[in-house]
Amino acid sequence: MIRLVTLSEFPPDVIDFIARRVHAAYGMGCEFEGEGEMPSGALDEEQSAYNAVKVVEEIDDDVALYADDKILYLTREPLTAPEGPMGRGPVDGYAQYGGGKAVITSHGLGEKGLPPLEVGLAKRAAHYVGHLWDLHHCFDPRCAMHPGWSPGFAAYPDVALCLFDREKSERKIKLGST
Amino acid sequence: MASKQPQEPVIGDGSLHVGDRVVYPNQGICRITGVSVKQIAGRDWEVVTLRREEDGATVMVPRGKVMGIGLRKVADIDAIDKVFDLLAAPGNDPQLDWKIRHRENADLMSGGGLFGTVAVLKSLHALSRVRPLPQKERELYDNARHLLVGEIAAAMNIPLHVAEDNLDYALWPPPGMKRKGQVLPPATLGPPAPVVRAAEEEIGLEEDEEEAAPPPPVAAEEEEEEGEEKAAPAPPPHVPKAETPRAKAKPARHPRPAPHPAKKAKPAAKKPAAKKAPPKKAPKKKAAAKKAAAKKTKGKR
Repeated sequence: MIRLVTLSEFPPDVIDFIARRVHAAYGMGCEFEGEGEMPSGALDEEQSAYNAVKVVEEIDDDVALYADDKILYLTREPLTAPEGPMGRGPVDGYAQYGGGKAVITSHGLGEKGLPPLEVGLAKRAAHYVGHLWDLHHCFDPRCAMHPGWSPGFAAYPDVALCLFDREKSERKIKLGST
Repeated sequence: MASKQPQEPVIGDGSLHVGDRVVYPNQGICRITGVSVKQIAGRDWEVVTLRREEDGATVMVPRGKVMGIGLRKVADIDAIDKVFDLLAAPGNDPQLDWKIRHRENADLMSGGGLFGTVAVLKSLHALSRVRPLPQKERELYDNARHLLVGEIAAAMNIPLHVAEDNLDYALWPPPGMKRKGQVLPPATLGPPAPVVRAAEEEIGLEEDEEEAAPPPPVAAEEEEEEGEEKAAPAPPPHVPKAETPRAKAKPARHPRPAPHPAKKAKPAAKKPAAKKAPPKKAPKKKAAAKKAAAKKTKGKR
């Protein structure tokens, strides 16, 4: 089961849209679990964005997970990530690879060159749930696992996985302990 | 202190120790947990035991083969820096001969070297921009990416997700991304057209045929296009869904039906020749008429 937890206010129809799209992409149940709050300790030094890694690690919620359950946190706040070898780049979420928690943001959606809120957020949700199932980035611009900053993200708003990623996620889900 | 030294087992060439994080070719990051003796097929084998970090699986390697299989320490930060230099550098044209490509990639992966894995990832990434990868190479691409992400994360002590994002900042640079002060060209929408069509265009077959063929009437062209669509073989299994958006992006890329008017124009050109034949027979008819007239004159006589 994939559980959605909101850390900001989202219209119910947007949450419903995301749940249906994620369910269609992975064939797993996906439902709204409740609301939470962003951990204040996750704010970065400039106080302008939240460190996505800290958000996932420090968040305090009462969601009970069973076996292979996954939690996806949704927020409107801008996110950032630790600086890597290429410096800082665009960050629209963070997932624990092969783990249970991920966070995505709707920040920037609906602006020029990016899809509208519900479509963009659903695609990001499918992308980060894929990372929770150990999927890597895909070169196919139509696949939900394509990097979110690439032009393919806006050009193909359908929330779909390529054949390879779909089969890989199905294998992982079947091997899961649920 | 002196009593501890004999207890430390020598692994490989002596550079590896129990507790080290190492890279096992095609398996990923492992940690050496110890050296033990196992009885296998009635023989005692001294094996080095490794624990794969990804899933906790135990791997045992005969002590004498540790260096032979390519077991090595996790790369240092300088090596990772060179990896990103390579990833961000403009790529060469992909190897299009699948036999050569397969052999090269298999050798590089089984070698277990960091830069070999980078080379495989980069070459398959370049190929994926030209055409969809076959299933086996898609798996190899994913495997190379998995190993590289794991090693970058282990070497730099960053989460796997951050490592993969950085890897793709080099392969698919977002606008404004820099590497050592140099702005990288931002990623474009790919993959572009399949190689086969591009090759046809380079040869200029379509242009030649268009030039050779007289402009057929519009209605006839439409009929021929329909006929071609029915007769055309089914597209390869990995292409199908891609066609619609691509067709939208490049509507001018539809001139494939153009060759057919030329092909079908040839029989049309023969028909007039067949029609010209009857006039040659006409003299025979005239001769027959002359014969008949001669008979009539004979009869009158």
